[in-house]
Amino acid sequence: MKMRREVARYVIPAAVVGVLAGGTAIGAQVAQQKAAAPAAAPARPTAKAPGPATAPAAARLPGYNTDRNAYFGDLHVHTYLSFDAYIFNVRRTPDDAYAFAKGEAIGHAAGFDIRLQGGPLDFVAVTDHSEFMGAIREANDPHSPLSKLPVTQGLFSTDPKEINAAFTRVVTGFRDGTLPTEFSAPEVASRAWREVQDAAARNYAPGRFTTFVGYEFTSAPDGRNMHRNVIFRSAKVAGLPYTANQSRDPEDLWRTMDGWRAKGVEALAISHNSNGSDGMMFDTQRMNGKPLDKTYAELRMRNEPLVEISQIKGTSETHPSLSPNDEWANFEIMESYIGSPVKITKFAGGYVRRALEDGIIYRDKLGANPFKFGFVGGSDTHNAAPGSVEEPNYFSKTGRPDSRPELRGSTPPDGKKTWDGVDAGAAGGRYQAWGASGLAGVWAEENSREAIYTAMRRKETFATSGPRIKVRFFAGYDFPGDLLTRADTVRQAYAHGVPMGSDLLASRGRAPSFLVWAVRDPRGGYLQRAQVVKGWIENGQAKEKVFDVACSDGLKVGANGRCGDNGATVNLKTCEIDRFKGDVELRTVWKDPEFNPRQRAFYYVRVLENPSCRWSTWDALRNGTPPNPKLQPTIMERAWSSPIWFEPTA
Amino acid sequence: MSQDRPSRLSRVLREPLVQFLALGALLFAAIAFANHLKRPVVRIDAAEIEQLATYWELQSQRPPTRAELSALIQERVDEELLAREAIRLGLDKDDMIVRRRLAQKMAFASEDIAAIPEPDEKTLQAYYDAHRDRYATPGRVAMRHLFFSRDRTGETPQAAAAAALARLEAGGTAGSDPSLLPLTYADVAETDLDRDYGPQFAAAVHGAAEGAWVGPVPSAYGLHLIRVERRLPPVFPPLAQVRDEVRAAWLAERRQDENRAFRTSLRKRYKVEIAGLPQ
Repeated sequence: MKMRREVARYVIPAAVVGVLAGGTAIGAQVAQQKAAAPAAAPARPTAKAPGPATAPAAARLPGYNTDRNAYFGDLHVHTYLSFDAYIFNVRRTPDDAYAFAKGEAIGHAAGFDIRLQGGPLDFVAVTDHSEFMGAIREANDPHSPLSKLPVTQGLFSTDPKEINAAFTRVVTGFRDGTLPTEFSAPEVASRAWREVQDAAARNYAPGRFTTFVGYEFTSAPDGRNMHRNVIFRSAKVAGLPYTANQSRDPEDLWRTMDGWRAKGVEALAISHNSNGSDGMMFDTQRMNGKPLDKTYAELRMRNEPLVEISQIKGTSETHPSLSPNDEWANFEIMESYIGSPVKITKFAGGYVRRALEDGIIYRDKLGANPFKFGFVGGSDTHNAAPGSVEEPNYFSKTGRPDSRPELRGSTPPDGKKTWDGVDAGAAGGRYQAWGASGLAGVWAEENSREAIYTAMRRKETFATSGPRIKVRFFAGYDFPGDLLTRADTVRQAYAHGVPMGSDLLASRGRAPSFLVWAVRDPRGGYLQRAQVVKGWIENGQAKEKVFDVACSDGLKVGANGRCGDNGATVNLKTCEIDRFKGDVELRTVWKDPEFNPRQRAFYYVRVLENPSCRWSTWDALRNGTPPNPKLQPTIMERAWSSPIWFEPTA
Repeated sequence: MSQDRPSRLSRVLREPLVQFLALGALLFAAIAFANHLKRPVVRIDAAEIEQLATYWELQSQRPPTRAELSALIQERVDEELLAREAIRLGLDKDDMIVRRRLAQKMAFASEDIAAIPEPDEKTLQAYYDAHRDRYATPGRVAMRHLFFSRDRTGETPQAAAAAALARLEAGGTAGSDPSLLPLTYADVAETDLDRDYGPQFAAAVHGAAEGAWVGPVPSAYGLHLIRVERRLPPVFPPLAQVRDEVRAAWLAERRQDENRAFRTSLRKRYKVEIAGLPQ
């Protein structure tokens, strides 16, 4: 009873905000790919990642590139099959989600049309919550027995207040396990799962647009977010998703995935919103209370090679309290539980950079690293709108309740023209802390399920906060001296080094070189600086440091280790950016001045754009009112490469 | 004596008022009985009881006991009685939830009524011909380009591009700034070029003659000299290859048409008046 009251106290005010899940993943693979590429073996990292494949010419799709192309996508998308999305009035289908990703306009729950400004995406996974998948949709069909259940009364309101109440009721029922078992009936889930698979098959166009079958495993013990998305490599998928109603412990999910793999069903998991886990996502103990061990590390890495580092409900790279010396750590930070206003108290264990540091310590202690993740971003849209993370074109993500600027706190309430007398910090509830962020990038030979899935398996992936910034990262000992000026830079980098996501083994005590290369989003802002984030172990302690390695505008890295100020500004009256500051590309070959061949370490790239208007400022500009004074008016959009791990001992 | 007593009773019976009352009571009883006979019937039939039991079983994972079933039935009867009484009193009028539910049921029902016939081959061919572009692999080009970065130091991109073009036109060779994007494409779609370089670049490629250097063309990164080597026209797959997609699209469109037609026909059957709008 007490617990239920507790839950209700948190959940009810939270209302809609917390989209219970940010689920993710999908991935469907159409079977009839002519070129059956060899299955992506979830092998342990090797010293040298495999270079670009040399597949037989007949297998190649248009656009095939041995140096690999950057493809952008969203692996975290909800449609009307998700119980919360349906309650939020979303009626868009998986087919609609794919149409949106291909650049078409679809209808938003609040009645207006939505469309990507930045052009089509290359790949998408529709990842509805597996718990009660399709059930609320069926409950709204008068022919369905579900529509006769008392709990469905009042689930279909269009009033944001009633929507919030309905959402709270269902989420509370989900947490307490009091929802009717009909909501989880296999035939209901089967119909939804069939729809997910059919839409993925219908919309897969190898060479042009890749779909993946997937779903979100929505576990949140005591409200701590342990959600992850499951993405299937091909059209050969599990008969039904393994859900958090079966077990909330991700170890059970991973073991189930092992079982699928034994039957030829290949899938990977991507955790997300570790920022809402209150230290649990990368905890130093398992959910069953036992300490991490080698078996756990291997089980996790076999099944969960990637982490979603940024999405609308905040960015989980690092927290200012964990990285006090990182001036750019305070980016789209969300400090509450998912779906409730409960404050996070434990940041360690909830942010990725610290997890990578803990991971290399475990590598020494256990002989295996449980937190060796590549990076992706995702939107977690519940509007069936993949990639809808564009600052000037932002409509948040939970259907009707956050559909208008006033509802998300970017404009003053009740048509007021100023913020005088308004509690700006409370306007729009937690929607105001959400960011227009999260896109996944992969380096793959061609746009197909096989190529993109294999890239995800080898962690040759990167994340962005929304813009389509392309970033490359290689490490090696024998790059040619003219690497940067050659026409075949990338080919040389693959030939003499390892790409992002790989291990770099020691080489007779030599210091490696790192190729860092980023190019702007052709429709976005200009790049200001490229950084290398390093984590290492010194006397058993994890350390971290952010190096500026390439500066725009011909500036140099100063004695303080930072690029000189390029003076880029934003006009807050028009949101125009400075056209003459920043670079279209940043590239350098960098050597770690503090390299120690005996220290285990990881390195990843972070690329920063010049400042630009945050979505809340765009909203205010269009409304003719001042931006919410409690919100940052500008942000620095960014991209993160997957790390390269220096492994002194194999 | 004996005559006196019955005569008192018969006197009372002969009293017109008494006769009137008695007849009235009889009539009243008869009418009440007649009314009783034609009361509306609430009937819960066997199929419905079966359904109640099934729902209950779904939820509880076991069949209901006799007492539980009886309670379920009484609940169902109560619900029916209240609902009927509500309809009798007109409580269903002007209720948004009821209206929405009815509209939804009608929408479902109208879809069920209008079965769409299977399209024949001619219909599909006509539909495919009208929407050929949807099923085509778009046109592609084999091309090269030289890149002159906006960021370059020394010679401006304009000057560097002009010099390079002059060298190329004189039959020489020219270098490019390094680019993260490929400098040669064996086979790229114009839509991809638009996405990666911007519309001006894609338009220039679209308009360029084969086998000649053109430019400089601006992009999001700087200037480019472009040379299209070869054009691969769009490929239109034969209908047989995309028959299922075409059929599904045709059916979806017909379904939409039918739904629209049904709503239009309703507008003809009713006169719609909206306050403030001219009739």
